[in-house]
Amino acid sequence: MADDESLPFDPSMKKKKKKKKTGFDPDAADDVPTETPTEEVNTEEKTAESEQVQEKPVDDDLSLEFSGFKKKKKKKKIDLEELKEALPNEKLEETPEGGDTNNDESDFVDLSLMKKKKKKKVDFEEYSKIQDGTEDSMDTVDSAKKPGNTKGKAWHGSDRDYSYDELLTRVFDIIKEKNPEMVTGEKKKIVMRPPQVLRAGARRTSFANFAEISRMLHRQAKHVLAFLLAELGTSGSVDGNNQLIIRGRFNQKQIENVLRRYIREYVTCHTCKSPDTLLQKEERLFFLQCETCGSRCSVASIKSGFQAVTGRRAAMRANAQ
Amino acid sequence: MTSLDRFGQLSGSNDPFNDQTEDVGRGGQDNLIHIRIQQRNGRKTLTTVQGINPDYDFKKIVKACKKEFACNGTVVEHPEYGDVIQLQGDQRNLIRDFLKKIGIAKEAQIKVHGF
Repeated sequence: MADDESLPFDPSMKKKKKKKKTGFDPDAADDVPTETPTEEVNTEEKTAESEQVQEKPVDDDLSLEFSGFKKKKKKKKIDLEELKEALPNEKLEETPEGGDTNNDESDFVDLSLMKKKKKKKVDFEEYSKIQDGTEDSMDTVDSAKKPGNTKGKAWHGSDRDYSYDELLTRVFDIIKEKNPEMVTGEKKKIVMRPPQVLRAGARRTSFANFAEISRMLHRQAKHVLAFLLAELGTSGSVDGNNQLIIRGRFNQKQIENVLRRYIREYVTCHTCKSPDTLLQKEERLFFLQCETCGSRCSVASIKSGFQAVTGRRAAMRANAQ
Repeated sequence: MTSLDRFGQLSGSNDPFNDQTEDVGRGGQDNLIHIRIQQRNGRKTLTTVQGINPDYDFKKIVKACKKEFACNGTVVEHPEYGDVIQLQGDQRNLIRDFLKKIGIAKEAQIKVHGF
């Protein structure tokens, strides 16, 4: 029974172990022994454990059949020793891989590192307790995964299947190789210059670098202007030296907010977020064509919507007549 | 309030292929609810809510809003945009939450404009 249960569990256990750092190695070691004749394992564990805690070895024997809590506890305490016991076989396979051997010395100190397991195992091999061939397959997988972090080439020269983790790291390594800019800079951020917003008189605001900003966005000033005025619900115009005069009091934060919304809607690609886009007008509709991913989508037209009457009604009425 | 609750789910006409017939008398091709702000004199502002489904009783909505936000408000009829709710002051966040809470609109149907 114990053997059957332990096999399915192992993969998941091992993965967790890797991440957790110290605790896992022991688990792997425990599981492996369970597969082999149980008595041998127990004896080995007992010897190892006996050094630190004598009561626990007994628990281990019992716990082997349980899926795992006791094992984990034990393992944490006894990690190093158990590892030594469990992993003798791996030496043969691991040593040829190269870099791993260098780390062996530091293994005990650096429990946190992913590579630990291998290193530990190598050291333990010296203790070389004999274990059956069944363990080999499992152990190799573990060892391979750990190295995967470093190189992901652990399967070289072996016939076993690749593990998911290995393939994953391999893919990412390849990606990094092929386009290094993704690793370092992610995508280059466009840095916008903040809008310079000044008060022009008591009830007007001037947006001084309006032309410059619309140029940076690669949009027509007319379009940006229409959006700004519609969003702010005011009127305004571009004056002689290319600054925008808006009616009403606005501060820089507010204008910045609106600009941000403009960029989200009309500048960045809705699919890939790339700012490398063209805004085209076709049959009264605006389309955003992305130069990076090639997607094309229509964007909302700019409408100011309902405008409440805020001015002097009397004056309006007079004008109308 | 109870009448509002009763109508709570009426606005859920979200069929993307159905937008041509739905918006008669509601302004715009989209059935979004636009919440806008306008500056008045000084630091005073005006909040307008446009695009609420005309099946609702606007007067009751305004009445509830006025009480809830402690502001004045009115319903303005507009030939193109239909009935529009006007509230005094910057009630954009309040009215948005209110519409969501009452169930007149969902988050995706509300668009808040302005700074």
